[in-house]
Amino acid sequence: MQQKAVYYKTFDMEMQATGLMNTYKLGNSHYDEVFKRINEPKSHYQPIVECFNQLSISDFERINNEVKTAFFNQGITFAVYSDEKKPDERIFPFDLFPRIISNEEWTKLEKGIIQRNIAINLFLDDIYHKKMILKDKVVPAELIFSSKNYLKEMDGFSPVGGIYTHISGTDLIKHIDGEYYILEDNLRCPSGVSYVLSNRMALKKSLFDLFNKLKSKNVYQYPEQLLEVLKTVKPKNVDVPTVVIVTPGMYNSAYFEHSFLALKMGIPLVEGRDLYVEKDFVYMKTIHGPIKVDVIYRRVDDEFIDPLCFRKDSMLGVPGLMNAYRAGNVTLANAPGTGVADDKAVYHYVPSIIKYYLHEEPILNNVHTYHCEDPSENKYVLENIDKLVVKPVDESGGYGISIGTTLSKEEIEEVKVKIKSNPRKYIAQPIMSLSVHPTFIEETKEFEPRHIDLRTFCLMGKNTEYILKGGLTRVALRRGNLIVNSSQGGGSKDTWVLE
Amino acid sequence: MLSRVANNLYWMGRYIERADHLARYSKASYFSSLDAPILKTFDRNFVLESILYMAGIFDMEQINEKDVLYKIGLDAQNSNSIISNITSARENARGARNAISTDLWEAINKYYHLVTNYPQETYLTTGFYDFTQMVSDQTSIVTSKIFGTLLHDGEYAIILIGMHIERAIQIIRIINSKLHDIYKIEQAGHTVTELSFEWTNLLKCVESFDMNRKFYRNIPNREQVLEFLIVNPNCPRSISFSLRGLKRYEKNISRNENHDINTISYKINKLCGQYDYLSFDEFKDDIYGLLNNTQAKVLEISEDFEMKYLSF
Repeated sequence: MQQKAVYYKTFDMEMQATGLMNTYKLGNSHYDEVFKRINEPKSHYQPIVECFNQLSISDFERINNEVKTAFFNQGITFAVYSDEKKPDERIFPFDLFPRIISNEEWTKLEKGIIQRNIAINLFLDDIYHKKMILKDKVVPAELIFSSKNYLKEMDGFSPVGGIYTHISGTDLIKHIDGEYYILEDNLRCPSGVSYVLSNRMALKKSLFDLFNKLKSKNVYQYPEQLLEVLKTVKPKNVDVPTVVIVTPGMYNSAYFEHSFLALKMGIPLVEGRDLYVEKDFVYMKTIHGPIKVDVIYRRVDDEFIDPLCFRKDSMLGVPGLMNAYRAGNVTLANAPGTGVADDKAVYHYVPSIIKYYLHEEPILNNVHTYHCEDPSENKYVLENIDKLVVKPVDESGGYGISIGTTLSKEEIEEVKVKIKSNPRKYIAQPIMSLSVHPTFIEETKEFEPRHIDLRTFCLMGKNTEYILKGGLTRVALRRGNLIVNSSQGGGSKDTWVLE
Repeated sequence: MLSRVANNLYWMGRYIERADHLARYSKASYFSSLDAPILKTFDRNFVLESILYMAGIFDMEQINEKDVLYKIGLDAQNSNSIISNITSARENARGARNAISTDLWEAINKYYHLVTNYPQETYLTTGFYDFTQMVSDQTSIVTSKIFGTLLHDGEYAIILIGMHIERAIQIIRIINSKLHDIYKIEQAGHTVTELSFEWTNLLKCVESFDMNRKFYRNIPNREQVLEFLIVNPNCPRSISFSLRGLKRYEKNISRNENHDINTISYKINKLCGQYDYLSFDEFKDDIYGLLNNTQAKVLEISEDFEMKYLSF
């Protein structure tokens, strides 16, 4: 009995240490997602802020460490290679303070994302068939045909159900005006969805009381929905399709996600070397002989999928796969050649693409984009590099981006030289003010404002669409940094859409 | 099941089993040697040599206690060390990540991190018992996850085939290694009581001391230890038990019902049949012959198995 009394006393003392959020200072020049003023959260964040304020810093740090250990043991890590033999494994930073999106706000986002992806899909179908949008000069033909992601092998080919982008990741930011803007479309192999599900699981285990305060839509249906979507695009004459995921292998940075999705869908995770093509049908090599494969969710880039057709040195692909695909005997998701539509130069035309095919106004805003290959826009860009973000059109992962305000005079000159040498390769956008969100910073042991964005996940099958409720909120952990990609020191947050 | 995935699962099973035997053998041998009667005639290198022999390490010119412990435990450059075995087990599990349960994967991954992050200085000074015991404990967790969180179908069978093949091979190695030691001790003129200490040690090296005492109700002696570890069908650490396990799980994945001569099933059944009716009197005069012959047959079966199911 004596011991129990002591325990309660300690607990009481800890409970007095409250106010984790009291030291939070608003980011002045940015849109703060959570607070209107100091210590005054927006109504939909109120219950969550109260919950965090009831935790002491030591409780919070303990929970934070438990979550980190759990991620580590689950193998949600990436390897950093140094000179030593053993790679250093690190977890992707996860911030426990969730991002919350109101139902009203989400409803608009969801409509806008579906509208955008339907239009993009029609656009792909058009440019690989009749090319009407090019003939009508809504999108310049040379922009499309000069893109290395335009695949002539896809010309005239119709994928099952007319679906090219079965899985797409649309990235959005919130500007200082409180409006969402589309940052980019990812139409090849967008990744990150496994973190959405893992983050939710981690938050539920560690701060379960939050879920009593607010009701969030669940995210667990995603793998089931993905499998359903993949089954809708099975080839003709197939009754129950064999669906597989193709991964480049376990040394790929997204291998965790590939194996995670395969496990959750209950389908085989295969590598190129597990497959072969015979008489235009694809088979996987099993312990009891070959089994025909009907639908492939491939997480290998276009140029590596078939060494007979694309890069001859590819060890990741399956020789003859494109022939099997073009014969209609196997479905690839996403279709090859979708990269032509997520090119950052084509991004500029997406609002026009929406109007052209759907005769509707775009629901979501684009960020204004300057094309360096357009002479007048090129001139503006060269004169205003210090105020713009310059991006290569064909890079992903945040590589090659120059943010004007951070550049020295010499660096500005270097960017100018790069643009002049290959104007087609670059676009520029005004520096958008990414919204900020309270994020726990381990060095200062305080919550500080950090920039965030949102990657949403949209699935499209034959006559069906599905959007994951929420998405992946990525957070730039370095103070002032605008680049949220995990390869550039970014972390993530659980993202709630309220019921 | 993909052949590549089967290959991963098979080797995962083998590496897990191998690390466990190496850790237990080293622990049991090392700690029993601290106050062993044989110290009258042999120095401490005797047991270190025994551990190296069992681990298949023959390239050490000078034997030094810390070097030996490091080499079998945490030396990532030595492919036979515990750390290398666990790293390989985990790599194979990662390659078959979607074919195993999340529980099993996390158990293996945690095991890997515990081994690879074990402080080297602690290991070499005060942590050798703790480390080897941790390996045994983690093996128990992993095997319980294999048993309790996988569907008992093809994947499960492949892992268990790997584990039983490895167990048969390791037990043969261990018996061989200890027989080698005991021969040297006998030659040095030790008494029967002192030899019984070594027979007890052999049982402890395969975690069978308690079972043996319960079965024979006697102080361990040559006949009862060898009979127990070679032909007792109910001792989970015997050769006979390992072969029966191999037979059971191979049957689960084999679709070859007619046991033609030279098929894997035929070879396994024939070897098991031999063990089913083997008595100590039949092999007591040529134990090395029996062990070597069995090892050759198990290796042949494993090669056939890899060829038939795991090549891709």
